[in-house]
Order: sequence, then C-alpha cells, then structure tokens
Amino acid sequence: MKALSTKDLTKKYGNKTVVNHLNLEIEKGSIFGFLGKNGAGKSTFINMITGLTLPTSGSFEILGEQGDSLHRVRHRIGVLPDYSTFYENFTALEHLKYYSRILRLSLTTNELKEILKQVELEDAINVKTKNYSFGMKKKLGLAQAIINKPELLFLDEPTSGVDANSILNIHTLIKDISAQGTTVFLTSHNLDEVEKLCDDIAIMNKGTIQTKGSMHQLRREYQDNISVYIKHDSISESKQIKLRTELSSLVKNMKVASDHLELFVEDESVIPKINNYLVSEQINIYRLEVEEPSLEEIFLNLGEEKFSA
Amino acid sequence: MFAITWREFTSQFKSIRSIIIILFIFGVTTGSAKLISQFEMQLKDLGLGDNAYVGGLMLLLFVASPLFVTSISHSIVNKEVDSRTIRFLATKTSRQNIILGKFLGNFLFWMFCLVIALLLIVPFSHAFYFSEFIQSVIYVSYFIGLTLFLSTIIRNPSLTMFLGISLSIALPIIGIWGMFTKNFIIKSISYVTPYFYYTQDHTSYTYFVLIFTLIFLVLSLMVFKRRDL
Ligand SMILES: Nc1ncnc2c1ncn2[C@@H]1O[C@H](COP(=O)(O)OP(=O)(O)OP(=O)(O)O)[C@@H](O)[C@H]1O
Ligand SMILES: [Mg+2]
Repeated sequence: MKALSTKDLTKKYGNKTVVNHLNLEIEKGSIFGFLGKNGAGKSTFINMITGLTLPTSGSFEILGEQGDSLHRVRHRIGVLPDYSTFYENFTALEHLKYYSRILRLSLTTNELKEILKQVELEDAINVKTKNYSFGMKKKLGLAQAIINKPELLFLDEPTSGVDANSILNIHTLIKDISAQGTTVFLTSHNLDEVEKLCDDIAIMNKGTIQTKGSMHQLRREYQDNISVYIKHDSISESKQIKLRTELSSLVKNMKVASDHLELFVEDESVIPKINNYLVSEQINIYRLEVEEPSLEEIFLNLGEEKFSA
Repeated sequence: MFAITWREFTSQFKSIRSIIIILFIFGVTTGSAKLISQFEMQLKDLGLGDNAYVGGLMLLLFVASPLFVTSISHSIVNKEVDSRTIRFLATKTSRQNIILGKFLGNFLFWMFCLVIALLLIVPFSHAFYFSEFIQSVIYVSYFIGLTLFLSTIIRNPSLTMFLGISLSIALPIIGIWGMFTKNFIIKSISYVTPYFYYTQDHTSYTYFVLIFTLIFLVLSLMVFKRRDL
C-alpha cells in the first residue's frame, strides 16, 4: 500500500504554476528524498499534502484518506514545515506540552523530556525559544514532528543550519524512526545526506518531477562512467603496451602505469572480464576499487542534460 | 480544540493589556457601587433603586467593552499567521478547531470577567443580576465574533488593531444615531449593530444579536479554511 499518492496536484500563484500536475507515489516504510533547486516547488508540494496550503487543482491520498479528509489522519502524520516559528515566551517543554494536548496525546513530562533528549535539547528544555539558536529551533521543530510517533513524517530540510555533529545525530534518529516502520519524506540540498538516507528519490524542477526512482535505478540510469582502480605488481613496459591494446575494447578510457590501472568503464559487467584477463596474464592484483557515481554526479548530469534545456 | 481554548483563556491573564482592563472593570465596578450605595435613598426616590448598581456596570460595558475586546483580541488569528506559529497548530488539528478554540477561549475570558464584575456588586445590591449577565455576554460575543472575523480576513495585525478600534468607536455612534435618523444608510447599518436590538422595549430582542456572532464565526471559518498558511 502507498503512504501517499498524488494525482495531477497543482499549485498556482497568480498565473505562475509552482507545482505542475504532479503525480507521485510513496511506498510505505521507505525514506523518500525530494531534491531540486531553490524555488523548484518542493516545500509547496509538502505544504499542500500537509494541509498548510490549498491545491489549485488535483487530488491526493494520504494514509488511505482523500486529501479533503486530511483531518482524519492528522494524528498519524508528523510535519516539520519549511518556514515556521515558535512562541517566543514558551520553553521547549511548554511547546511540546501544548502540542501534545492539541494532539490529545497523554504524554508525561518525562516522556516529553525524552523526546527533547532525542534531538539533543536536554540542556535547553526550560529555555524560552526566543533564546534559541537557529539550529536549536530546527531540533525543536523535529521534536514536535515526532511527538506523536507518526506513521508518515514530512521533514522539509531537517538538517539545514544544523552543526555537523548534530546532523549525524539527526540522521541516526531518522533511520531509527524509519526502522520502526515510519515512512519518511524529506527534502534536502545535501546530496550526501539524501544518498546516505534515502531509498527512493525524486528530483523536482520547475514544478514537475524531472526524474524519480530508487537510488540504485538512478545510478544505473545516469552513470556515464564507473571508475575502476586496480593496483597490481610492477609490470614491464612491453606488458603495459599489451595491456593497453587488449583492454581498449572493454573500457572507455584508461591510464596505465607500471603498478596500477585507472579505468573508466560504461558497464559494470566488464569488470570481471578485466579481472580475468589480468589473472590470465599472471598479474597479481592487490586492490580493486570500484567507485559508483554519486548522487551529485547524477544531479549534475541532469543539470547539464535537461535543466538547461 | 480545548487545548487551544485553554491556552487562549490563560494567556489573557499573562498579558499586561488584559490585566489592566480587568483591573479597570473591577475597579470602576466596585467604585461606582460604593458611590451608589451612599446615595441609595436619593436613587430610590428617583425610582432607580437596586438597578442602579448593575446599571452603572452595564453602561460601562456598553460604551467601553467593544474597545476592550478589540484591543485584547484584534490579533487573535493574524498574529499567529503572520509569525507562522500557526503552522505547527495547523499540521496537528483542523482549521475549524483553531478558530473555534480561539473564539471560545476569548469568550470564556469575558464570561469570567463579567461574572467577577457582577459578583463584586453582590455585597452592595445583595443580588446576582443573571439576566444582565446573559445580555452582556451576548453583547460582548458580538464584538469577539467581529474581531475574530477581522483578524481572519486581514493579514496585518496592526491594521486590524486600527480597524477594530475605529469600528468599536463608530459602531456605537452609528447604532445610536440610527435610532433617531431617517437616513436610510445609517438606519440599515444600525440593524447590524447590537445597539438596535439592545434599545428595543423587549429584552428578548437582544438574543437576535447571537445570530450575528454566529455569522461572524461561520464567515471566519469559511475564510480561514481557504487560507494558505
Ligand atoms: N505565497 C507565495 N506566493 C507567491 N509565490 C510563492 C509563494 N510561496 C512560494 N512561492 C513561489 O513558489 C516557488 C516554489 O517555492 P518553494 O518554496 O516550494 O520552493 P522549494 O523547492 O521549497 O525551494 P527551496 O529549496 O528554496 O526551499 C518559488 O518560486 C516561490 O517564489
Ligand atoms: Mg523549500
């Protein structure tokens, strides 16, 4: 079953179409990464799904309910919206108490403190949020989103403005939450983060989905080159020349040195062939490294091929 | 919804503005009651009797409560929309609950103030004026509804402050003017102010004012449901 599916979801501001007939399905239990340039429409999309912004047209289904019945599933959803603030004169704990009452959760003070501890705010539980830093507010935003142990969690840039250590903690938290069965939908400009966390991703551009799929699929689709590094015995000049001619049909590009090879192949299926050849030539291999294209490369590829169009 | 109601209600007691207004109402009420009690005999001769105690309070409410309500509640909705604190609420509960919760919280606050004010005159008048209590609650609810509506349709909190205060000065004037004039426009406007209903011979007219409160509430709900937050 799908956690979320949208049908021709559209948002216009005046005559500017910000989200354009968007169709997207999110599998239950997955961590879904939503990428795209500034102004691509990612936040607008999340805001429509979570009831903050009204769609101009189209529809969506969330946790089995139609979008107009969103109120029925609200207690099963957690949201960290893109731009939101806290009551200046309330402490973190007071916020969580208020929100838990609104959600009619019967959480004890200790349970709420535990949630604040999960986002590393245990030292600032009783500090008014007007004295919070940007990153601390982000963490409190995360805390309020997970207060109800949601089945579906929306995180709009959960780690932007957060220090490196805290980012790692948030990643662990997201993974833990996901491991408990929560579907996570997150946006991020940090490609490493998305690559590390997400099972599926979609890249949005100018209100439409440019490409979507699992990380694995996208890698296959957008990889130009797999780079292969092979460290081996020292070999003679003549053997190097032989290697070069023999391998030229298998690889796209290569650099042959006396003790290592740097190869660029188009398809991973040639790697065993290269390996076999080296073995048959009685060259001892010490190390073989294959580097897959990163999300960043995919992203850049997309940018060159299509974004500029 | 009740979580929001409770927060709205209790936050009034933390705001300096509300505290000043509460002290003012209670001060004027007990002060005038004391004053009246010194002239009890003379007032009885004039046929005013016990009603004088509550009469003073009612007059005060009639004139000043629109101003009090707008100055306390003018930004009841748009302040949260403006600062975007509303976003965390709107992802947790329905828009209807937000509006109703806020209305009820303010309504309760005024009920509370009115009960205390009327209780303060009990030692002098030896009676709790129940029907006056109901009428003043209805009267105040009109202005809470109006303020809520303004705060929902207008995004700028300082604009609603200005408009609310202007209206709470203009409405009594138009309402009372409407009783004496034949000017069609003024007269029509006066029908949508509570003053027309509060100056009829029969007090049951005052219950009509509840309809306006309801209309304001429903309009606020309709507008707020269509709003991007
Ligand atoms: N209330 C609004 N009125 C008019 N235009 C808006 C409004 N909100 C957003 N937009 C426009 O919609 C477009 C998409 O904005 P959105 O915030 O969804 O982008 P985003 O993908 O989340 O970008 P970012 O990565 O910067 O967060 C932008 O061009 C923005 O200017
Ligand atoms: Mg955004």
